[in-house]
Amino acid sequence: MHLDATKGFSGGIHPTDGYDKSLTMDIPVREYWPETVTILAEQSFRGLCSLTVRPGDHVRQGQRIGEPEAFMAAPLHASVTGEVIKTEMVKNQGREILACVIRRQEEPERQIGDYEKKGISLSGIDREEILEGIREGGLTGMGGAGFPTFRKYETDKQMDALLINGAECEPFLTCDYRLMTEHGYGLWNGVRLLLKASGAKKAYVCIEDNKPKAIENLRQILSEIREQGVLDPEEDLEVRVLPARYPQGGERQLIQSVLGREVPMGGLPGDVGVIVSNVGTAKAAADMILGKRPLTSRIVTVTGCVKNPGNFLVPVGTSARELVKLCGGVTAQKNRIIAGGPMTGPCVASDWKGEEELFYITKNTSGILVLPESQYEEQPCIRCEACKNACPAGLTPYQIDFAYLNEDYDLCQKLYASECIACGCCSYVCPAKRELTLRTRMARDLVKQRMREKAVKKS
Amino acid sequence: MSQTKAISGPYLRTEQTTRNIMLHVSISLIPALLGAVYYFGIKAFYLTAFSVALCVLTEFVWQKVTKKQVTAGDFSAVVTGMLLAFNMPVTVPLWVLAAADIFSILVVKQMFGGIGSNFANPALMGRLLVMVVWPGTVMQYTAPRTLAADAVSQATILGTVKAGGEAGYSYLQMFLGEVPGAMGETSKLLLLVGFAYMCYMGVVNIEAALTYIATVTVLTFIFGPSGLFTGDILANLFGGGLIMGGCYMLTDYVFVSRRGKLLYALAAGIITAAIRIFSAYPEGICFGILTANCLAGVLTLLYRQHIYGTKKNVI
Repeated sequence: MHLDATKGFSGGIHPTDGYDKSLTMDIPVREYWPETVTILAEQSFRGLCSLTVRPGDHVRQGQRIGEPEAFMAAPLHASVTGEVIKTEMVKNQGREILACVIRRQEEPERQIGDYEKKGISLSGIDREEILEGIREGGLTGMGGAGFPTFRKYETDKQMDALLINGAECEPFLTCDYRLMTEHGYGLWNGVRLLLKASGAKKAYVCIEDNKPKAIENLRQILSEIREQGVLDPEEDLEVRVLPARYPQGGERQLIQSVLGREVPMGGLPGDVGVIVSNVGTAKAAADMILGKRPLTSRIVTVTGCVKNPGNFLVPVGTSARELVKLCGGVTAQKNRIIAGGPMTGPCVASDWKGEEELFYITKNTSGILVLPESQYEEQPCIRCEACKNACPAGLTPYQIDFAYLNEDYDLCQKLYASECIACGCCSYVCPAKRELTLRTRMARDLVKQRMREKAVKKS
Repeated sequence: MSQTKAISGPYLRTEQTTRNIMLHVSISLIPALLGAVYYFGIKAFYLTAFSVALCVLTEFVWQKVTKKQVTAGDFSAVVTGMLLAFNMPVTVPLWVLAAADIFSILVVKQMFGGIGSNFANPALMGRLLVMVVWPGTVMQYTAPRTLAADAVSQATILGTVKAGGEAGYSYLQMFLGEVPGAMGETSKLLLLVGFAYMCYMGVVNIEAALTYIATVTVLTFIFGPSGLFTGDILANLFGGGLIMGGCYMLTDYVFVSRRGKLLYALAAGIITAAIRIFSAYPEGICFGILTANCLAGVLTLLYRQHIYGTKKNVI
């Protein structure tokens, strides 16, 4: 099956009618500076850092406090100015993680740099400088798994396109949308820096058509930057509008949607000459290189069943509990708290009353969502194949589900369970309410493990 | 299949449920039920109610006895019960209907694993059982009471036409349902109203239904009784159970959602038409769709599915 660029990606769903995003779409970002921050040494899964500060140390905002210890880790910086009061293990999303607690002692200083008000000439900055900047500034992907950004860009492969992901296809989340409507200049300058760092020919800022204000804003600012005469003739920039559909913002789906290419099985976007970065990542790159500020804060959407939902610019390490309290608390007694969006985010608590801590904002936390408790009973599969039609990877989840339940892992492998992207579309559409995503994902992990074991045996 | 209280992600789920789908199908059969009462008297309603109750009860008892998850309330047995009753003449003995109900639910549906696992459409299998074991009860039909003709047993229109006779009824009568036949399927108008409702609710595969109906109509027209292109299109379309078969029997979720569903509908159409043209049976719906049910698995193999990121396609 050949897909041309305009056809989009395969499968996908329209999970909501837009009421979800309208809760917070038009609420401008508010800054919030908590009294203490709890900065996790492991900002993303398997991204452990060792802390270089001790209790009693005075740290300045942006000072380096953690050194990467793992492949998935990036340097860590203090997000506020103040005193380190303790380093201890804290409970975060059901895991014990080392964290550094800092009490804020000074009001945050934040000047708005030139790069947030106009286009900047990048002729004086070379690729190496940008790469070093994003490596030292602790830049990680701000939309998804929190992969260290420099690892994507430090490559010898010739890249051909840079996709800046502003799809924000997850329901309820509006942090990227607010960024695109409020920080157009910073974003474009960041995109230009990343384009230079990638060596690609062209950068596409990809936005779904349900965000017309963001599209209009970015197009207008792009034309203003063009008029300012700072663009290099080689800087090829475009706003690409995509029809709204979940999971458009999945890396692989975005590549298929915009360029009509498929990342080969087991490969990375780089294999087809593409780098994908989130809009938040691009803006943070500008802050780092042009504003000399490492990544220490981000925009978080707090939404769902809370009194006053909103978008907040907060330092890394802000307590989720505090943010929900700031929004007036939960409005549903029977609830479910989700870190991130409803499709891929993990549930961190149910029937939460507001007492215990939930989790702490990391570089890749895009939202805190409170949903009303929902219950389903799994029914027998009726073979309607809605899951197959919705699967962006082209799998047949119900067959993988049966194979997995029958412990036939060879069949799971033959059904390409390894290619599951865990987007949740299959469970979403299933009229029998089967836990397809859960079991297909487990089948995927099992199959991948078996494939690795086989590879080890052979060698 | 345990009861799961705490679901895993995603935490957003569609409101569509199996029960909803089956409820919509049941609702879509109500116009035809009203038509049956109008044409054949209140007895049609009692028979349908009996059939539905027995189907649901059979399913419930089986699931209780075998200690399986009870899904008798999901309306799928209601649909089977309604379709089975609709396929019988109003004169059908109660015990024949009961035998069909129990056979459909117990043997065809539950013994093969329940909803979603049946190898053929349960309602059609029930009808097949009656056709084979008690042919006299379903091959002879009663004329509607609106026709003033006494409850005389008559052959169906397709049977009469096939035997070389005149249909004896206008096309309008066929369309409205004022003809002898099984109680729920004479009125094509009301069945199509129900079909339109299903389409609106998005619970039916329109392409497959239309492919099937069109295939039968075109083939029976081309290979008409007096040479090529002499078939009676409207009699074939509205004279028998084609609309009922295409809209409700063929579109069983188990078969029609697979890859190759149009091929499946086409195969069902070709077999149905072949039976209508060549065999002694005037209808062919039942055999046509049941054969295609059994072929569905094989036809699926002809289609390949593309897996993202691979050059190969999986079977």
